[in-house]
Amino acid sequence: MSWTGKLLHIHIAPEASFEMEELSEAQLVAGKGIVGDRYYLGRGTYSPKPDCREITLIEREALDALSRDDPPMQGESISVDPGEHRRNLTVEGVPLNHLVGYRFQIGEVILSGGRLNFPCRYLENLLQRPVFLPLYNRSGLNCWIEKGGIIRPGDSIIPLNEATDKPHR
Amino acid sequence: MSVRIIMKLLVETREELDDDLVRIAFRHPIRPQLPIWTPGAHVDVRLGNGKIRQYSLTSDPSDLSRYAIIVKRERDGRGGSDFIHEHFTEGAHVRVSMPRNNFKLATGRGVLIAGGIGVTPLISMGRALSQSKMLESFHFCSKTSYPSIEGELSRFCGDSLRTYFSNEPDSQRLNVASLIENLSSDLHIYCCGPERLMSEVKHLTSDWNPDQLHFEAFNASEDQKHKAEPFDVTVSSTGETLRVSESQSILDVLRVAGYVIPSSCRQGICGTCECGYTSGEVIHRDSILSPDARQDRIMLCVSRARVSVTLDL
Repeated sequence: MSWTGKLLHIHIAPEASFEMEELSEAQLVAGKGIVGDRYYLGRGTYSPKPDCREITLIEREALDALSRDDPPMQGESISVDPGEHRRNLTVEGVPLNHLVGYRFQIGEVILSGGRLNFPCRYLENLLQRPVFLPLYNRSGLNCWIEKGGIIRPGDSIIPLNEATDKPHR
Repeated sequence: MSVRIIMKLLVETREELDDDLVRIAFRHPIRPQLPIWTPGAHVDVRLGNGKIRQYSLTSDPSDLSRYAIIVKRERDGRGGSDFIHEHFTEGAHVRVSMPRNNFKLATGRGVLIAGGIGVTPLISMGRALSQSKMLESFHFCSKTSYPSIEGELSRFCGDSLRTYFSNEPDSQRLNVASLIENLSSDLHIYCCGPERLMSEVKHLTSDWNPDQLHFEAFNASEDQKHKAEPFDVTVSSTGETLRVSESQSILDVLRVAGYVIPSSCRQGICGTCECGYTSGEVIHRDSILSPDARQDRIMLCVSRARVSVTLDL
């Protein structure tokens, strides 16, 4: 794989259901999460069920598709702002589905792709918009943080083309 | 199941009204507009001491730049109003949920009956009915007068407002029986206030079409005769069956078993933990579900079952 993507937005929420807050920079801690985020603090909706959720990413292109009703599954276009989808990072030009089981780099940090995020009724309920079906298979990627550090919007994202030894199913 | 985004809002203004009443207006620190709401809606307010309380929005839903609530200090209450009176100062950040409405206006002319601080949801409802020329009359009874609320109500109710203050010798008393008796039976009645007032209205309208009767409780109803018994709860999606002891709620048991269930008031008045059920004899102990809704919906925080219940979860 050879491509270069870009980090557009960073969002965290201190507790389950709390409105996401945008950050101009974030500190990532290997093996834990984003400082201040609900999954770093163990207060997320799914915190009681251990899983790969140290940091979550979603493609800006998937949100664009929803906004133009593509594919036409929900009857109308759906607008989901970067602060609403509840993934931590909104990225551009990054083929997330190809990164399951692989390492990649954002600025100075290294993540490894865990499992594809599965859309949930919880999000649909929270947003009161029918996003469940249209997000199927493009609901983002749940990742492990292998090397921590600071990230900022605008950071480049590149594949490292190395398989991870972290669980990725 | 109903979950709502919880926002971090700024206390924009705090206004001391009459004795023991304060009006708090919130705005979003970044967004110019707050989520839309309809008359009768409430928000969950998270107090810094870990408690959550529900308050009706009293502002105008056409002005989404702010939400306002009116809070009466209940000195013998559960501590929520005390906390707000002491800590919600201008500039404070407060966690407030998106609005939910369990007390919606129906189509048709309406009569509003408010008891004490139960007037708060009816303020926005009265304003909306008045604007659409569908307000029949607004009856506000209380021990003492609240000039600020009365003034606000009279601005949009005009002659439709009737007030009854039992501690004021010159004030007339509300005769609920006479009021109901003289109402045309095609009206909708909206009532919020103490349990005694709502019970009286319910009793006097027992022959009315239930679809025309609308109540909102701000305290849990008490059933002195209720004796909790253990029962089984089955989750239809997993087939798992769990035992609910006499001292536990369904909500407690599901959470311990790892199910993610939102909840808020834990008194059966906010509707957050509403869930469907497919079989079983449910003992409904909430204050919001209509008789129709009770056929297949249950509030997990307070309601129970005889022997067993299967949840659509």
